[in-house]
Amino acid sequence: MSSYNGRLIRLDLTNRRSRVEGIPERRMKEYLGGRGVGVSYLYDELKPGVEPLSADNKVILMMGPLGATQAMSVSRMALVTKSPMTGAIAKSVMGGNFGAYLKFAGYDGIIVEGEADKPVYVHIDKDGIKILDAAGLWGLDTQQTHEKLRQMHGKATQVACIGPAGERLVRYALLISNLRCGGRTGVGTVLGAKKLKAFAVNSAGPLSLYDAEGFRKVNKEVIEGLKTSPGRIRMSDFGTSYLTLGFEKVGIFPVKNFQEGHLEGVEKISEEALVSIKTKNDGCYGCMTKCGQVRKVSGGSYDGATSEGPDYETIWSLGGNLANTDKDSLIAADSLCDRLGLDTVSAGNSIGFAYELYQRGIITKKDTDGLELNWGDHAAMMKLLEKIGNREGFGQLLGEGTKRAAAKIGKGAEDYAIQVKGLELPAYEPRAVKGYGLVLATSNIGASHMYGRPRDELSGKKDRLTEVDKGKDIAQAEISQATQDSVIQCSFGPVTGFSPQQRSDLLVAATGFKEFADPAYIEKVGERTLCLERCFNVREGFDRKDDTLPKRMRTEPLKDAGPATGQVFKNLDGLLDEFYDALGYTRQGIPSEAKLKELGLGGVVKDVKKYSK
Amino acid sequence: MKLPPVLQEFSGGVETLEVEGTTVNECLEELEARFPGMRQSLLDRQGKLLRAFGIYLNSGGLRPVELASPVADGDEIVILNFLMGG
Repeated sequence: MSSYNGRLIRLDLTNRRSRVEGIPERRMKEYLGGRGVGVSYLYDELKPGVEPLSADNKVILMMGPLGATQAMSVSRMALVTKSPMTGAIAKSVMGGNFGAYLKFAGYDGIIVEGEADKPVYVHIDKDGIKILDAAGLWGLDTQQTHEKLRQMHGKATQVACIGPAGERLVRYALLISNLRCGGRTGVGTVLGAKKLKAFAVNSAGPLSLYDAEGFRKVNKEVIEGLKTSPGRIRMSDFGTSYLTLGFEKVGIFPVKNFQEGHLEGVEKISEEALVSIKTKNDGCYGCMTKCGQVRKVSGGSYDGATSEGPDYETIWSLGGNLANTDKDSLIAADSLCDRLGLDTVSAGNSIGFAYELYQRGIITKKDTDGLELNWGDHAAMMKLLEKIGNREGFGQLLGEGTKRAAAKIGKGAEDYAIQVKGLELPAYEPRAVKGYGLVLATSNIGASHMYGRPRDELSGKKDRLTEVDKGKDIAQAEISQATQDSVIQCSFGPVTGFSPQQRSDLLVAATGFKEFADPAYIEKVGERTLCLERCFNVREGFDRKDDTLPKRMRTEPLKDAGPATGQVFKNLDGLLDEFYDALGYTRQGIPSEAKLKELGLGGVVKDVKKYSK
Repeated sequence: MKLPPVLQEFSGGVETLEVEGTTVNECLEELEARFPGMRQSLLDRQGKLLRAFGIYLNSGGLRPVELASPVADGDEIVILNFLMGG
C-alpha cells in the first residue's frame, strides 16, 4: 500500500500507441516525484541538441507522492520538457484538479513522445488509454475544449488542454486545466508541435496509503493550524493581489517595461479595487484556502468578462508593466489569455517591449499593423493579445518572445528585451530586491519567479539593496523550491501549513519509505534536482555567461522607485561567485565532480566533463 | 505591541514594546513619535493600512482589526507582515 501508483503512461504519438510502465523505486526515492522525477527522466531520455519543437522532444507530466491525498495543497502537477523559449530545461507546476484524478486513475505521470500526423487527444479511464482524433477540438479555445470534452465523456471529466496559441506555436503557450495554468517556458507550444490538443481523464478515488491512520493524525494537526492561520486567510480573501501596493511602494513593482518603479493610479488595480468585483473563490484539489479569486466585470467596455484572477503577476504584466490601471481590462485580458492558452507574463512583457520600442521610435505604426502603442492603452493591449494568440501580423513577431523579436527588429531593440536565457522577467525589479535578481540570473529555466523566493528580502527582514552575502541564501531558496516542486506542495507557505518534520511524517505515512522520515533527506532531493537541471543545461552549452541580467538592470539607475531609486545591479559577478561556491559549482557555474558524487550523481560526471568547456 | 522584523529596523532591533493609546491608530502614532518612519511604512500612498500587513489583537480573530479599533489596558497588538512574494 502506497500513495505512489508506481507506474506511468508512455504515449508514442507518432505511432499512436500507449503503454504503461513501472517507475523504479530507486527513482522515486532519489527524486520523490513531480519536478524531480520529471527532470530525471528527461535527463536520461533526451539527447543533447534536440530541437524543442521536433518529434524528438518529450513532455513529462508528473505528480508527487502526496498528490490526491487529503493533505492540503499538494495535488499540483509538474510539467517538464526542453523549452522552445530558452533551449534549456523547462519546469512548471500547475494547480487544479487534473493531476489528482490522473492519480485516481492509477498513474503517477505521463511521458509524451513523438508527434502525431494530425490533431489528437488522449482519454484515460478504467477501460484504458486511448489516443483519439481531435479534429473537432482543434481551433477551439481552452474553455470550449473543456466543454466539448465534457459533452463527449461526461460532466465529471477532468481536462488539461492547449488553446489556439499552442496550436499555432506561440512560443509561450501554456497547458490549461479549468482556470489553472501551467507551462511557462512553452510547454503548451511543445504539445502543439506534437499536435496533442488535450488530456481527458475519468476516474474516482480514493488512493491507498501505507499508514492511513498515521497520515490522518499528522494531517489533522496541520489542518487545525491552518484553520487559524492569518496568512492563509489573507490568501483566501485576496489571493496574491494584496502584494501590489506593498511592492509598488518599495520599488519592486516594475513599471513601463522596467523603466521606472512608480505607477500613477496604482490603487485602481489594488486588492481593494479587485475585491469589489469578486464573485467567489476557486482553487486546487484538496486545498481549504482556495486562493483563486473569480471576478466579473459589470458594465463598460468589458461587460461580462470573467476570470479566475488576475493574480499579482498578471496585475503587473498586463497592468503596471504597461502603465495600465483599468481593472476591468485586466479581467478581460486575463480571461483572453486563458482562453488562448497564453502565458500572461511573457505576453505582457512582449507587449511592454513593443510599447517601449514605439515610445523610442524604433518601431512605428507601419510595423504594428497600424496600431498606436501608448502606455496605458488597454484597447491596444487587447488587440495585440488577440494577434499574438492567433499569430496574426505584428503578433507573429511578438509571439516569438522578446529575445527573438529583438533579434529580428534590430536597431538596438535588444536593449529593451527584458529577459534572461530567453525567458521574460516576472513582476520583481532586480535593482530593488537584489536577491531576486540573483535568482532570475541563475535560474536554469530563465527568469522565473517560481525558481526560489528570497522571502527575507521581500518581507524587508533582510536588506534588499546590498549586493554581498546573498549567494548562500539564494542557493538555499532554489533548493527549497526544487524540493517543494518535487513533493509537490504549493509554493505559498501559509496555504500548505506543514513544517519540514510534518512534511516528512506525511511522506512516510503515505509511501512507507522510511528514508523520507529525515527532513534533511527531503531537502537533499531538491538539491539533487537543481543540480541535475544544471547538468542538463551544461549538455546544451549553458554556463556562467548565461547567468546574467538584462543590460538595463546592470547599467541604468532605477527611476522613481521609492527607497530603490537610483539603484543599479553592480555586483552580479560577486554574487554569482558566492552562489556557485554555496552549491559546490565551479566559478564557471558547472557542478564539480565532488558535488555530483556527493549528490549521488556520479553517473553524469562523464557528461558534464564532455560538454563543459 | 509585537513588531515584525521589517519594523524592528526602526526600533533598534526591539521586537516587543509597550505603547499607550485608546485605538490601534493612536498606538501607532505613539510609535511614530518614538521611531519616525515606522507608521508610514505600514501605510499606502493614500494613508490606508497596506494589506501586506495585518494588525491583530490578543491573537484573536481570523481577520485583522482596523486602525480605528479600540484597545484596552493590557491588550497585545501583533503586527504581521505578509509581504513575501506571490
